Amino acid sequence: MLSQKAHNNRQILQQLKFSAAIFLAVILGSILVSSQPVFSQKALVLNLLMTGPDAQPWKEGIVADFEAKNPGIKINVIEGPNATNLIEDLYTSAFILGDSPYDIVNMDIIWAPKFAAAGWLLDLTERMSTEELAQFSPKDIAGGIYEGKLYRIPMRSDVGMLYYRADLLKKAGLKPPESFPDLVKIFQTLKQQGKVQWGYLWQGKQYEGLSAMFVEVLEGFGGFWVNPKTLEVGLDRQETLDAIAFLKQTIQDGVSPPGVTTYQEEETRRIFQNGQAAFLRNWPYVWPLANKEDSPIKAKIAIKPMVGAAGKDGGACLGGWGLGIAKNSKYPEQAWRAIQYFTSEEAQRKFILNAGFVPSRRALFTDPEVVAKYPHYPQILEVVDKAVLRPPIAQYAQASDILQRYLSAALTNRLTPENAMKAAAAETRRLLGK
Amino acid sequence: MTMDTIRSREQRTAWIFLLPALLLLLLVFGYPIFRAFWLSLFTENLGTKLQPVFSGIDNYLRMVGDGRFWQSFWTTTVFTVISVLLELALGLGIALVLNQRFFGRGAVRTIAIIPWALPTALIGLAWAWIFNDQFGVVNDILLRLGLIKTGINWLGEPFLAMIAVIFADVWKTTPFISIILLAGLQSISLDLYEAHAIDGATPWQSFRQITLPLLMPQILIAMLFRFAQAFGIFDLISVMTGGGPGGATEVVSLYIYATVMRYLDFGYGAALVVVTFLLLIVAVAIASLLLRKLQTSENNS
Repeated sequence: MLSQKAHNNRQILQQLKFSAAIFLAVILGSILVSSQPVFSQKALVLNLLMTGPDAQPWKEGIVADFEAKNPGIKINVIEGPNATNLIEDLYTSAFILGDSPYDIVNMDIIWAPKFAAAGWLLDLTERMSTEELAQFSPKDIAGGIYEGKLYRIPMRSDVGMLYYRADLLKKAGLKPPESFPDLVKIFQTLKQQGKVQWGYLWQGKQYEGLSAMFVEVLEGFGGFWVNPKTLEVGLDRQETLDAIAFLKQTIQDGVSPPGVTTYQEEETRRIFQNGQAAFLRNWPYVWPLANKEDSPIKAKIAIKPMVGAAGKDGGACLGGWGLGIAKNSKYPEQAWRAIQYFTSEEAQRKFILNAGFVPSRRALFTDPEVVAKYPHYPQILEVVDKAVLRPPIAQYAQASDILQRYLSAALTNRLTPENAMKAAAAETRRLLGK
Repeated sequence: MTMDTIRSREQRTAWIFLLPALLLLLLVFGYPIFRAFWLSLFTENLGTKLQPVFSGIDNYLRMVGDGRFWQSFWTTTVFTVISVLLELALGLGIALVLNQRFFGRGAVRTIAIIPWALPTALIGLAWAWIFNDQFGVVNDILLRLGLIKTGINWLGEPFLAMIAVIFADVWKTTPFISIILLAGLQSISLDLYEAHAIDGATPWQSFRQITLPLLMPQILIAMLFRFAQAFGIFDLISVMTGGGPGGATEVVSLYIYATVMRYLDFGYGAALVVVTFLLLIVAVAIASLLLRKLQTSENNS
């Protein structure tokens, strides 16, 4: 009995020793593995951060191609959280600390002036010739310029545009609208025929999408938000109030559902895709979804540039991603070579054919291979030509939050448009030191 | 040797002994507070390319007209007052129950403290799912009970989102108050109740005249702790709503975070911190003054 117990104890002791040995081995092993990059630093790794879902098309195609063409340079695509504001936070905290782990900076168009003003980006002005720059959409380039210097090369564009039900308009013998009054009139005709419930869907929730939607309407009424050169603020001008009056009118007249002030892109897309609305303001991602096999509006829609007030042109809010180089990157030359490749026509064509994004190079919109797969791209080029930028100023994030707060208050009747915009303009002026 | 010299020598010795502690306090508390105050006198943001430019009280003047600051300040106040009062009432109730003798009291006491011991960010995530409009448990229960027809968008409506975050905070921090109050309850001698009962007092009278006055110090401490904590709440709301919808649950610390991290407006962020700090001190001073008055009047009666 006693020896049995001693035996058991010894066994337990041995097991303990064994597991302790394993534990130590695991710790040692993980230390070795984690310190590996220090030893293999000579292989030259360029770090590139992006949202998780975006990383897939990169890894599948262009990154592998670049590495094959440039032996000795590896691109490490870091998959971040699937929310652009969290990616922005990651960049910010890394850059504030000084020694950033990222070499190539994948930027939303509205971050570029901020990152540049903070001194986190390398000046790329000298690296691009004017002929090369002319290949891109001019507004897309302008979005990457801060105080006359270029910091961001566009890679993937995004523009807001007007989707409409081509089938219904055709049946009713109507032409696509040229202005907002046109749009409302067409909707009223269609509604009388009982074809649709709603006329115009837009994003009215208090978030960045509200600013994006509003710059288009503002352009359509001939107004402006902030002049990036003079920092003049136009929010309390008559054009701005007219634009707000139009948006409020759509809700009052039943052209837009009352819930529109709480909608983001997806809510509006779902209503449009269910066939309940005639017009929709949204981004290019809607097209493939609305034309899916099980979509009730498959092959029934068309796009055109956003319309404006009668006799005025509308604007298309420009979004999208571009690449820059972190100022303290150890390998700026290699990073530039990677950017040159990623923004090249060849790489972009492949990227677009693979992932369905909108290119930043004008030639690709009408490229035979691209058009064969996406027949609506030439029309998107028309939209891109009417692009408007959200003000490319360093304090854009703050300015946008101010506009969102007061615009939302005006749209939901918490403040009168006059008072809301007076306050918004005052706060923006104070922010910009005007 | 006169008494005076002995006294002054003693005082000097006392100061020498106190010096290390004072230096430590100065370094740990004094320096950051002074630094924030100093920074608040500068404009250091994207407009100045992150270089500090002396601007006096400009940041403070800007704050006066900053609607968002005052809204977030009001939101924080509402959140703090409602959640602390609820926590106090519930915490007192739980403490009274846990103070009774019953089978499995040790186990129940342990379980009761668990919410407080869990990491707040995870709790925030859990509550965000519980209040989710599509998959949330709350909506599921209400639907099954037939109280609602369609799911409520808890975190999408300004008023409901506020209720949701207060609910989560109360759940999370009530145990903290009940533990402190329980400790207080256990220090009250049972003899007092016995004597009071012999005098013919009802349990309610005992509670009012013995428990509450003797528990007042603990209530005061718990309230002050919770008040300061709730006023600086960040993690729970950041995870549950991120300050939304439309800034309806944006508390001061979230606004300061946005000012510093998103806007890189360091000078203004520092000014926000200073003003919040001062307002908080004033609020705590008023609250403790009121409570002390309450206590003395209670003692007199």
